[in-house]
Amino acid sequence: MADLIQLLTNGLALGSIYALTAIGFVIVYSATGVVNFAAGQFVMVGTFAGVATLVNAGWPMPVGYIGALVVMALFGALFYLIVYLPLRASPIVTVIIGTVAIGITIQNMALLTFGSWPFPVPSPFDGMMIDLGGTVISAHAIAVVIATGVLILLLWLLMHRTAIGIAMRAVAQDVKVARLMGLRVQWLLAFTWILAAVMAGIAGLMLGPMWFADVNMGDPIALKAFAATVIGGFGSLPGAIAGGFFVGLAEVLGASYVSSAYKDLIAFGVMILFLLFRPQGIFGEKIQDRG
Amino acid sequence: MLACRDLTVAYGDIVALRGVDLAVNAGETVALIGANGAGKTTLLQTISGLNKVRSGEMLFKDEPLGPRSSAERVRMGIAHAPEGRRIFPGLTVQENLIVATAAWRRLGKSCEAELGQVFDLFPRLKERRHQLGWSLSGGEQQMLAIGRALMSRPKFLLLDEPSLGLAPRLAEEVYDRVGRISKTGLTILVVEQNTVLALAVANRGYVLETGRVVLAGSADELRRSDRVREAYLGR
Ligand SMILES: Nc1ncnc2c1ncn2[C@@H]1O[C@H](COP(=O)(O)OP(=O)(O)OP(=O)(O)O)[C@@H](O)[C@H]1O
Ligand SMILES: [Mg+2]
Repeated sequence: MADLIQLLTNGLALGSIYALTAIGFVIVYSATGVVNFAAGQFVMVGTFAGVATLVNAGWPMPVGYIGALVVMALFGALFYLIVYLPLRASPIVTVIIGTVAIGITIQNMALLTFGSWPFPVPSPFDGMMIDLGGTVISAHAIAVVIATGVLILLLWLLMHRTAIGIAMRAVAQDVKVARLMGLRVQWLLAFTWILAAVMAGIAGLMLGPMWFADVNMGDPIALKAFAATVIGGFGSLPGAIAGGFFVGLAEVLGASYVSSAYKDLIAFGVMILFLLFRPQGIFGEKIQDRG
Repeated sequence: MLACRDLTVAYGDIVALRGVDLAVNAGETVALIGANGAGKTTLLQTISGLNKVRSGEMLFKDEPLGPRSSAERVRMGIAHAPEGRRIFPGLTVQENLIVATAAWRRLGKSCEAELGQVFDLFPRLKERRHQLGWSLSGGEQQMLAIGRALMSRPKFLLLDEPSLGLAPRLAEEVYDRVGRISKTGLTILVVEQNTVLALAVANRGYVLETGRVVLAGSADELRRSDRVREAYLGR
């Protein structure tokens, strides 16, 4: 029992990372139709932005975090300008292959800058444990789950209660009519990429202390986030969240109760079952909302 | 308000408009009638900046529209209720309306006054304000499409076949509202296949056939013309 609580906490914390990555993936996909295969590298860049500000520059926590997120916002804007904009008129397959290529480039640039040796990343909760009468759980893991819950709430408020969020949903549903209604579509798409990069950056900053900062961390995260979106329903935000938590829990519980060698089997096995029997995922029926 | 001079528009090799001359004066309601494929939608989309002009020019309030984007044209006062209504399906009625205020609304400014005007005109939309777009009936969607266009504080309203696919009674209801909007002094260009309804609200009209204006005149003149009676009024 004590064990189970620990495992659930760690599973939800890891699931939070996958959920945030999947959210970034889904908001870009629904607004632009681009399946961003560089999404995992976005998280890696987020972790290393934290390495740069907190470790290399030695900035104190709040300033270092804000600095890293500003870097991520710039990274999102740059990605929009030099990857999405030049490619947007090309066939969608070209854009997708472009994101694969740029993902590999980003990974190698990180390798050149930071080397292949993994870095430890600090957390404001380093060494802190919460004692639940016998079970100790990591304060960082709890903080990650709470922060993710708050972020999801903020994202919901942004998309449903602000003019810019409503406009983003309109662009995702019908670009041509969005133009006719006077929306500045290019600015909204730029904002979408920036938002996705910042979400990935937060995921990366929270993941750093759980793993190590490693230039190869992007690929496994992208695969899990991709599995999460398939299981939750491709293009669905609630699906990305549910799928992310499912994959995180499956990974941690699978490693403990089955075998750590097969820990990924459950998540990917479930993804394949969904692809075979319910390709629209858990929340898939909502696809009609997108017209 | 609007003037098209010798306007030619093409999709690749398909020429959809050939040398169209057309004018809409301030305060007028003008009907544009024609059969399927005549180029009516193409003309409205060109006014809104969705299609490129091949040759000729368009003036809005005596200013050439040139290569201005759709977003800029909305800011100048051109609003468009597109063919097939094209409501945002996953947005609520109210969100559909709010989206169209982007042209003028600054951060923190309210659009309650505009919402109130639209809800006065279409009380059914008020009842359904929190319902998602896709769940509305065809008539309600058409009312929402018109209401949405009005939210941008337009000076010139483009309506593309507002009666399309509606039962006769609903089509009449929609045109009753178009008549009311027209009485407020708003300038309207309405595209329609239902010639009777369109000529009933219009001051003037144009007949478009395979991309050319073949007839123009007051609503009465068009109703009496043999060409319109045979081809579009079915008698
Ligand atoms: N996107 C497009 N690409 C190629 N050709 C097009 C396109 N849109 C319209 N056309 C062609 O241009 C011509 C005019 O079409 P348009 O839609 O303007 O006609 P319309 O008068 O609105 O017809 P309807 O009453 O059926 O709506 C038609 O021959 C049509 O096939
Ligand atoms: Mg048409």
